[in-house]
Amino acid sequence: MDNNLNLSDRRFGYILAAPSVLIVILIILFPISFAIVSSFFDYTLINKSFNNFIGIENYLNAIKNERLFNSIVVTFFFVILVVFFEFLLGFFIALLLNTIEKFKSIYYFILLLPLLINPIVVGLIWRMFLHPQLGILNYLLSLLGIEPVNWLGDPQMAFVTIIFVDIWHQVSFMIILLLAGLSAIPKEPYEAARSDGANIIDCFLHITLPYMRPVIIVTILIRLIFAIKTYDLIYIMTKGGPGDATDLISYYIYRSAFISLNLGEAAAMSSILLTIIILLTLPLFKYMNRSD
Amino acid sequence: MNKILVKNLSKKFQKNIDAVKNITFEIEKEDFFVLLGPSGCGKSTTLRLIGGLENTSSGQIFLDGKDITNTDPKDRNLAFVFQNYALYPHMNIKKNLSFSLRLKKTNKEIIEKKINEVAKLLQISDLLDRKPSELSGGQRQRVALGRALVRNPRAFLLDEPLSNLDARLRVLMRTELIRIQKMLNATFVYVTHDQVEAMTMATKICIMNKGEILQIGKPAEIYEKPNCIFVANFLANPVNNIFKSKISIIENEINIKLIDINLSLKNKVKINKFNEIIFSIRPEHIYVEKKENTVKVKSVVEVIENLGHEKILCVKIVKSETLFYVRINSEIIFKIGELIDIFFDVNKVLFFDPIKENLIER
Repeated sequence: MDNNLNLSDRRFGYILAAPSVLIVILIILFPISFAIVSSFFDYTLINKSFNNFIGIENYLNAIKNERLFNSIVVTFFFVILVVFFEFLLGFFIALLLNTIEKFKSIYYFILLLPLLINPIVVGLIWRMFLHPQLGILNYLLSLLGIEPVNWLGDPQMAFVTIIFVDIWHQVSFMIILLLAGLSAIPKEPYEAARSDGANIIDCFLHITLPYMRPVIIVTILIRLIFAIKTYDLIYIMTKGGPGDATDLISYYIYRSAFISLNLGEAAAMSSILLTIIILLTLPLFKYMNRSD
Repeated sequence: MNKILVKNLSKKFQKNIDAVKNITFEIEKEDFFVLLGPSGCGKSTTLRLIGGLENTSSGQIFLDGKDITNTDPKDRNLAFVFQNYALYPHMNIKKNLSFSLRLKKTNKEIIEKKINEVAKLLQISDLLDRKPSELSGGQRQRVALGRALVRNPRAFLLDEPLSNLDARLRVLMRTELIRIQKMLNATFVYVTHDQVEAMTMATKICIMNKGEILQIGKPAEIYEKPNCIFVANFLANPVNNIFKSKISIIENEINIKLIDINLSLKNKVKINKFNEIIFSIRPEHIYVEKKENTVKVKSVVEVIENLGHEKILCVKIVKSETLFYVRINSEIIFKIGELIDIFFDVNKVLFFDPIKENLIER
């Protein structure tokens, strides 16, 4: 701390910082602490009180809960598949776009559009597109003579559909970040490599990938963390169904809290989810704070 | 047979910017060929066209008699050394050096041997495990050179490789480059804007301006007989004395009014049509003591620049009040304001057409 600052100056500084600190405490720290505290109580929406301290019983219940286990499995596959395909597709499109010099602002704008749309709206749009009888998708398929598909009604199909819609919505994020990374790579190493006898694939492996490594890691980690928290798409499109085929963990926690009204257990699950996400975030922070 | 032949080469960038305009030249085997010119003259573009890093707009490039105009750079086997080195930052020095050989799937022992050879030659043996970011500018420059050397390319293309180094290092690397080129009997095509580099290293200089070639020749030839004012001006250290003057011609003698000296003429016809002319004389061809074939002019010492091994005098001709630079031995002592006689070497004065700016034979 700076010792030259005298006491009144320092006090003035605290006063200036106070409103924002207060806001952070109110809207971030308080809800989180409240959730963590309530996870140790038998706290339900019917009986909102901190009278029944039950220790880690909520956590034990959560761990033993088969439906939570199911939603963890569903979330796991959802996240892996979504991030994998978004990265693959995003990197491929970014590589193609990176060679185009003209109309940059136009395609950047088009790419940004899906990200600007509220996830609720995205869900509603796609629910209309995918409607078994009235949706445009099945209509187009019928023109090709293909039987209508029950996009959201069949458990396996619904899972695939959710993944598809999420990719549609989020792939731009990957493209834009990767494109920014690609356009920051200097030209000279490529020219040197071409003179050194490298073909396109050599250039990609020996120049593009090493240069892109930090961007790729950060992009994938960010997407991973956001994908785990996917909630709104499920809420609008499937409500976790059919059955529990698309019951992602965030949605399951929401149901436990506000449909089963078991706030304590939901809070316990949230704490578990929070821990998982923090563990995932750690390498990201470490990587970003690396000095070189 | 020539090594590299550039024939009617042109390069247009978008919006009709002519970077290179219909140039033709040839580079002999084992030449140290220097493309010299001010920035933006098209010399780097020419080099990049030879290396295949830019596509030609028209014209042809031949390497060892084979048309390589549309050959991919990876198949040309020309080594390129970049101004900012363009090392691969994620690879250590050893991997940087061996990159081209590894791409060709060369035997590991051969790679090892080659790298050790080159590293020894360039004195970078103890840097092999480091990353480029851990090296100084001079060391990076050596690695960039080494990367070219390990390959046994058909020719070396160097794009201002020394311009990012400090003055002392530049002189040392200059000597080193000359030594290496001689030792390998290699063909070097070297781009620079530094006329000292060009004069000291080149076996042949090609001076370019605004995308065109002005003059090609041995350094001494060009220095002695620049074919236009631009070359006379550009190839001068520190400066050339170039002035426009009214003239009068009587018999076989021309009188330059500006400094009032008479010079004999062999080729009266060519000069006769002008009543004004541009003439040049280099600072080392004006003396402060009488020699053979000189003409005396009175002048006043204005500025003295002592460079240690020599002095550059700036003198004002008494009659016309024009300023001339004179190069003298550093042991000769003058005072500022002193009235002195200077002696123009009459055989070294060159005449240029005042409009077309080209050299006129006397």
